Amino acid sequence: MVGLSLGEQTFIKGGIDQDLRTDGRKRLTYRPIFVETGIIPQASGSARVKLGATDVIASVKAELGRPNPSYPDKGKVSIHVDCSPTAEPSFEGRGGEELSTELCSALERCLLGGKSGAGAGIDLSSLCIVRGKVCWDLYIDGLVVSSDGNVLDALGAAVKAALSNTAIPKVQVSANAPSDEQPEVDVSDEEFLQFDTSGVPVIVTLTKVGRHYIADATTEEESQMSSAVSVSINRQGRICGLTKRGGAGLHPTVILDMISAAKHVSEQLMNKLDSEIAAAEACDEMES
Amino acid sequence: MEFVNPEGLRLDGRRPMEMRQLRAEIGVVSKADGSAVFEMGNTKVIAAVYGPREVQNRSQQSNDEALVRCEYSMANFSTGDRMRKPKGDRRSTEISMVIRQTMEACILTHLMPRSQIDIFVQVLQADGGTRSACINAATLALADAGIPMTDIVTSCSAGFLNGTPLLDLNYVEDSAGGPDVTVGILPKLDKVTLLQMDSKLQMETFETVMQLATEGCKAVASYIREVLLENTKQLESRRGV
Repeated sequence: MVGLSLGEQTFIKGGIDQDLRTDGRKRLTYRPIFVETGIIPQASGSARVKLGATDVIASVKAELGRPNPSYPDKGKVSIHVDCSPTAEPSFEGRGGEELSTELCSALERCLLGGKSGAGAGIDLSSLCIVRGKVCWDLYIDGLVVSSDGNVLDALGAAVKAALSNTAIPKVQVSANAPSDEQPEVDVSDEEFLQFDTSGVPVIVTLTKVGRHYIADATTEEESQMSSAVSVSINRQGRICGLTKRGGAGLHPTVILDMISAAKHVSEQLMNKLDSEIAAAEACDEMES
Repeated sequence: MEFVNPEGLRLDGRRPMEMRQLRAEIGVVSKADGSAVFEMGNTKVIAAVYGPREVQNRSQQSNDEALVRCEYSMANFSTGDRMRKPKGDRRSTEISMVIRQTMEACILTHLMPRSQIDIFVQVLQADGGTRSACINAATLALADAGIPMTDIVTSCSAGFLNGTPLLDLNYVEDSAGGPDVTVGILPKLDKVTLLQMDSKLQMETFETVMQLATEGCKAVASYIREVLLENTKQLESRRGV
């Protein structure tokens, strides 16, 4: 990105102070969200989310695996994010690794709970097939194709859409297998179970510029930020994860204020996202 | 395994000389100077071009011509089995080099000295012929970026299975172990810029297969020209011409 001149910086900050951003939005308004599901046919579920010029793809693959011995009745979920150099020339080679790791850990914090799976957005016990022996391993892969700010929110939305598009095949376990060996599992090709995503949260990032906070910042607005707080909130209004980025310190009351603003924004975002996902799925069904 | 059944149909219902369905879109990554998506059947590739811009590594700067760099990476979910390492493995490095050499041949680099042109190709879905799809997508992206070229480069692959030359192999046909000839041409100048082959072929059969691949390249070239023409008409109408 070309550096911003002093005049441009003042314009951005001034606009945010007056609740009229450079592209005409109010402080807490999101850019138009565009969701497309089922774009990767060989994955169990996939989605592409466009938030203005930010474009991300998420795919979910379900594979059979062994559960962790300490948690025998829970499946496993692993999240990985890759920043494609098409988004930013500096992501070439290993340049995108730092951002990928940051996004990956932020997503993990928001979607997965503690080690035992408690408080996770995704219900891990629904992934268990045979206690202690066979479970579903979900591999969630995110790819940032184009980045124009607020990549984390777009990824969160894409993961939610991909999970609602995920169809886990029905399995039949052979009943007469000896107890210490791996039981034989017959994976059905025709019957699928839709994954339950009512508990999956959305991520809302609030960026503090000057004295005000904005939602869904573009790259230029992000360059002027002092700090940013990403809150992941589920449908029940509960906070599932929290990340603070940026060097500037925030007073605790400011953080609490940002969290309540994020809760308010998340309701609209959640409704918008759900309707977009439903429309995308309907489109998908009509085509197939 | 039978790749061409007695009626002359392949595994996906195509005839031996039939290409997969092509689909291209220009200008998908708004931040890039030029970008394009190219689909050949189920193979889907996105290419983005950044440049001409200032050289990042001063030691590589050339005073007479532009530096062309290319990186090929595959998404984790692009293949049937999830890939562990999206880039940096030997195959990706080799394909990056191949694409760079092919595109460098057609870009008029002497017009942009002391600058750098970056071509980034990302494979979203891999179903055989990724090399060709990448070159076709890169051509479109370079055209979208307005980078001067002597001619467009198009690429297509062909193989030989069950005694029949087959055009545009998909993944199943490619992994059958038969020969796979990838050809890249400059269609107007009628010159070959890329030629690669796996496995072995008899000399006469090789000529037939290469001829078939070249025909495929020409078909891709006419499709790409259509897409570029359509894009220019849209730009014209937006400008109010």
